[in-house]
Amino acid sequence: MRILFFAHLKDITRCAEMNLACGEVDADGLWRKLVAAHPGLERFRGSVRLAKNSEYVGPDARFSDTDEVALIPPVSGG
Amino acid sequence: MQIEIQLTNAPVAEPLPPSAVTCVGAWVEFRGVVRGEENGQPIAALEYEAYSPMAEREMRRIIEEIIRRQPCLFVRVIHRIGVIPVGEAAIYVGVAGKHRAEAFALLVQFMDRLKQDVPIWKRRALTGQELEELKVP
Repeated sequence: MRILFFAHLKDITRCAEMNLACGEVDADGLWRKLVAAHPGLERFRGSVRLAKNSEYVGPDARFSDTDEVALIPPVSGG
Repeated sequence: MQIEIQLTNAPVAEPLPPSAVTCVGAWVEFRGVVRGEENGQPIAALEYEAYSPMAEREMRRIIEEIIRRQPCLFVRVIHRIGVIPVGEAAIYVGVAGKHRAEAFALLVQFMDRLKQDVPIWKRRALTGQELEELKVP
């Protein structure tokens, strides 16, 4: 699974993307893996939305290793 | 209905209104410009970043959703990313409609939704010195 980080999350993880082997996971399972890899992400979990293959997904979403998942912190365009 | 969306590193030029749409009665334009201060501090530029494929897709989805309630004929959005000096446009939106009411409404609603949902971020503010250093080859 390709994971993308943006804005201040890149500063936390010190990378713009990473590969994560998860198999099939739900959002909770994905977050556990993410926080295990980058503990600094934990405090942003409440404000970060997940996008799967360029679309926002809800808390009941499921993810597989072929997905591209982006962590979307609060946006500030315009 | 025609929608044009562009993310670009280049300055926003003076886009022309859609000439092919003959029944246009209103052509409304908006430019969001980089202010000279951020959090009370003077700045020289802002750096924007985007999750480009999703940002373009999300802008199109939002416009298609709003246009059902505000039937307009043409929408053009240009959002600049990268370093944008103070006074230059970070975003340009042009909306054409038969009448001004739906064109104004679409523009306002789109900008509100953009600021909630479109994955574009102000990454950092640059001082004058930082901006000058970027220009040095």
